[in-house]
Formats: sequence, C-alpha cells, structure tokens
Amino acid sequence: MTISPAITSPERRPPRLVGLLPWLFAVAVVGYAMVVGGYAATVVSFALIYAVFVTGLNLFMGFAAQVSFGQNAFAAIGGYGSAVLTATYGWSPLPAMVLGIAAALLAAAIVGFPALRLKGHYLAMGTLAIGLITYEITVEWQSVTQGYLGISGIPPFGIGPYEVTSDRGQLIMLALVVAACAFAAARIRRSRFGRALSAVAGSEEAATALGIDVSRYKLMAFLLSAGFAALAGSLFVHVVGYVSPEVFGLHMVIVTFTMLYVGGIGTVAGPLVGALIVSLLPETFRAFKDYQDLAYGAALILLLIYAPRGLASLFSPRGRS
Amino acid sequence: MADWSYIPQVLVSGLGIGCVYGLIGIGFCVIYNASGIVNFAQGAFVMLGGMITQVLFSRSGVPLPVAALIAIAAVAVLGVAIERVVVRPLWNRKATMFVMILATLAAQIVIERLTLIAVGDQPKTLPVFTDRPPLMIGSVAIGYQLIWIVGGSLAIVGLLAAFFSLTKTGKAMRACSINREAAALQGIPVSRMLALAFALSAALGAIAGILITPTQYTAFNVGVPFAISGFIAAIVGGFGRPFGAFLGGLLLGLLQALAIVGFGAGLKNVAALSVLLLFLFIRPSGILGAAK
Repeated sequence: MTISPAITSPERRPPRLVGLLPWLFAVAVVGYAMVVGGYAATVVSFALIYAVFVTGLNLFMGFAAQVSFGQNAFAAIGGYGSAVLTATYGWSPLPAMVLGIAAALLAAAIVGFPALRLKGHYLAMGTLAIGLITYEITVEWQSVTQGYLGISGIPPFGIGPYEVTSDRGQLIMLALVVAACAFAAARIRRSRFGRALSAVAGSEEAATALGIDVSRYKLMAFLLSAGFAALAGSLFVHVVGYVSPEVFGLHMVIVTFTMLYVGGIGTVAGPLVGALIVSLLPETFRAFKDYQDLAYGAALILLLIYAPRGLASLFSPRGRS
Repeated sequence: MADWSYIPQVLVSGLGIGCVYGLIGIGFCVIYNASGIVNFAQGAFVMLGGMITQVLFSRSGVPLPVAALIAIAAVAVLGVAIERVVVRPLWNRKATMFVMILATLAAQIVIERLTLIAVGDQPKTLPVFTDRPPLMIGSVAIGYQLIWIVGGSLAIVGLLAAFFSLTKTGKAMRACSINREAAALQGIPVSRMLALAFALSAALGAIAGILITPTQYTAFNVGVPFAISGFIAAIVGGFGRPFGAFLGGLLLGLLQALAIVGFGAGLKNVAALSVLLLFLFIRPSGILGAAK
C-alpha cells in the first residue's frame, strides 16, 4: 500500500493565513457571482452542486483512500428520486429529497456490503459497473424515467410556501449547503471516525491491529459519500428543473475526479476549490464546447503525472512528496 | 414471451461477439501480466481499429485488407504512445493502481473526443469481408462474417500461444509476468517488455474492432462498452490468464445473447454488468482461478 495523502496527520496544519486562502477564493467567487447574477450565478451554482458531490467523494477516496468510480449512481438515484416524486407525483421537494437520499443510502448499503470486500482493480471495476448499470437503467426504465427524453417541469427547491426561484436565492441556498458540507467534512476529519479512516488509509492491517473494525468504517465512509452524492443529485434537478440520463453519466465521473485532483485530494477545502476552478475555466473559452471533455481528460492526465496532490501543491514546497 | 425457436441462431451470433470480447479480454491480460496495470483505455483501441479502417476504406479508397493492416499498425503505435506519454511517467513515480486506472480512463476519454472531432458522431460501418449468402445448417444461418470472426480469433489465439511458448520475446514476457525483479536480473529489458505489451494489446484490440465492425457499426463512443465486456471476459476467465479470458469472452457472448432474447436488447449491457458483479462478489478469481 502506498502512502495516501490522508495519512498526514490532521493536526499538523499549514499556517493560518495560507490555510484561509482557498476559502477566501471561494467566498470571492461566490460573492462575485452574487453581485453579477445572471449567467455567472448559474455557472457558480453548478460548481457548488459539484462541490457537494466531490466533498462526498473526498470522504471516501481522500480520507479513507478507497476507490469508487460509481458514486454517480447515487447522484442519479437521489436526482431521479426527487425528479419523479415532485414532477410525476406532485410531492413537495423536501420529502422527495429525503426519500431520494434514503433510497440512495439503501442502494449503497446493499451494493457496498459485498463491493467493499474487493480490492484494487476489482473494486474499481465493480464500482464502475454499479455506475454504468444505474445509467443503463435510467435510459431503459422509460415508464418512470422517460429514457433519453428526461423529466422536465421539476419545481424549484423550497420548504412549505417558500420557494427558491431567483438565481441569487439559489446561489445563497447552495452556498449554505456547501458551507455545511465543508464544515461537516472538517469535523469528520478531526473526529474519532476521521482518525479511524486515516488509519485505514495508511494500512488496513495496521488499522485492524489497532482495533479498528476496517470493513465497518469503510462501509460507513461509503454510505456518507453516497449520501453527499444523492444530495448533490437532488439539488441539481431542483436547480435546473430538468434531468436526463446524461447528467449522471461517465462524464460526471471524469469531471468530478478532475475537480478532486485539481483541488487536492484528502484536504477539506480541496473539493470546493477544485469544483469552482474546473467549472469556471471552460466558461472562459466556451466557444470550444466539443473540446470540454477533451480538456478535462488531458488536464486530469497532466495533474496525475505532475501534481498528484492538486494544484495547491505546485506552489507550496511542503505539499510535494 | 420470447420465442425459444431462435435459440440456436442466437447462440451462434453470441459465439461471434464472444470471440471479440475474448480478444479484448486477452488484451487486458497481456498488459496486466507484463506490468500489473489494468489499462482502461483498451476500448479506444477497439474503436480506433474499426474507425481507422473505415475512414481509409471509404474516404481514401484503400483496399480493405490494406486498410485493416494499416489500422492495426497505427493502433499498435498508439498503444506504445500511451505507454510512453501516460503510463511510463506514472510508473516511474510509483503511482498507485487507482491513479493508473484513472489516467488510462482519462486517456480513453481524450482519444474518444479527438475521434469525435475528427470524424463526427455518425455511426459508420464496413462491408462484410466476404459478400455471399449465409451458410444454412438446419434452420441456423451462419454468415461469412461470423466465420471470419471465429476463424480469425482462433487463429490469433493460436499465434499468441505459439508466441508465448516458442519465441524468446514471448518467453521473456511470461517471465516478467511471473516476477519482474527476477526477470530483470536475468537480463530481460522489463521496461521494453511493457511497451511491447501495450503494442500487442493495442493490436489485439484493433483486430477485434475490425472483425466486429461489419456486423455492427462503429462510432466514437463504442469503446467503453467493448472495454467493459472485455474486462468482464478477463474476470470471468480468471484475471491474468489470456486463454481463460477468451473462454470468458465466449461465455459472456452466449449469456448476453440469451439475455437479449429473454429481456430485450436494451438490457444487454445491464446483463453483462450483472454477470461482472456476480463474479466479483461470489468468485472474483474467475472460473479458472486468477493467475498468481
């Protein structure tokens, strides 16, 4: 087992000011979008939704050093749960979201139990298969998902009579959700649970020797991660008002991994920073729409080779390994 | 209710696609044995094999056999290029297995998108190699393309077996798969074997792509499903066993054909992926037991 980024002790943190920089960046970007509104607000809203997903991915992959190529399955379950219950059955968004997340957690528990016994490329392929099966089901189960056509007319998110319809309102709601997720991730990292995960990340054998129930902790991290993914999926359908299978396809896997690696895997602020950078960059040269996935793929390869700890590590000598 | 009188016909076509899955599965094993890497860009080789042949044949008017040979050579060169540009730098940095998978998956996406930009998103196909009415055995029609696929695959499996057991290079590659350090101590250039494995694996993928294209179609995005089927074949046969992978491919092809009769064509990928999960959860070492 190679040394994972999560093994570095959470106690040894960088100096205060440097540690604040990613957050200042995020606040600046969200603040700018809030002032400008319109299209900028939409782009940043998507980035924040991705940030929720990537925060979950980071819990499982960064903190516990496990592998899952299939978290998009749980985003799809959460998203379609919300979409079908609100648009087709007229539920209000909050109970639909809760039920969608519960369904995703149930699915994660059912597949996670056998899947997490796997290691290495078996685990990678098993989870990839889970994501692909979910994608195929969203395409084929037309009576519920309407296949490639997708489901439209999903109401915006709201609680009771209060609906979040304006760009800025959605942005504020999403910023609050992301802040809560990041806070949760930071708390988890320093908790007993988080320390157990870094022990698992370092060496499963050593963790077992320390009395950590490795498979239980892995499953819990997987469930948490799936919960974040489902929340992101549900937020997405309410913000956009439309969902189709492509939203949660292989594209999502590549984009979210790029975000995780850009921001820095295993850090607390990394998912948010990565999501913002990766979402904003293509907007600066939006004319090349066909080239987007190409650019994501190429950027991911370069990052993996030259900056495996994220962009931040390029600037700080300490982050290099 | 499905019509069961089609079963023999369905099984025959399942056998054909199974051979193709088997070839792709062998491609996975060749790289895995030489390096311990699972190359998720395998699907790109399959897609490019069919695509380059098609472009040369229909746009430039190159005769089909020549176009096919050029395509196989070009894809083999691309395999080496991926090894040099993507895999080698990570390998030198002792990247984790997961980083390697992610990088090759990203390479797959890059190739897919470049193809999309170069040739567009329209599905393309090749003419069958021998244009004659199918042979009839009882009520089962056997097309000449199927004979090409099965015959070609068997010939390649035979050639590979000979290569691995008779030639010095083949024996050196097998030595690498048993123990890389020991192989290096024997004077085997391990890193050159890695490049060779990528070339061989890419050529196998390209051949699979060329053989199957006349019966289906090729498009920029057919690679990932083929790669996954090939991977499933390799798992079912016992990962790291090339001939197990071929067997696994045949089994998968037959099962998938039956699933199409039973549940409809839309769910054939779900059926294949379910077979994968079933094997991973219950018997991850495959029917023959994984190598090593």
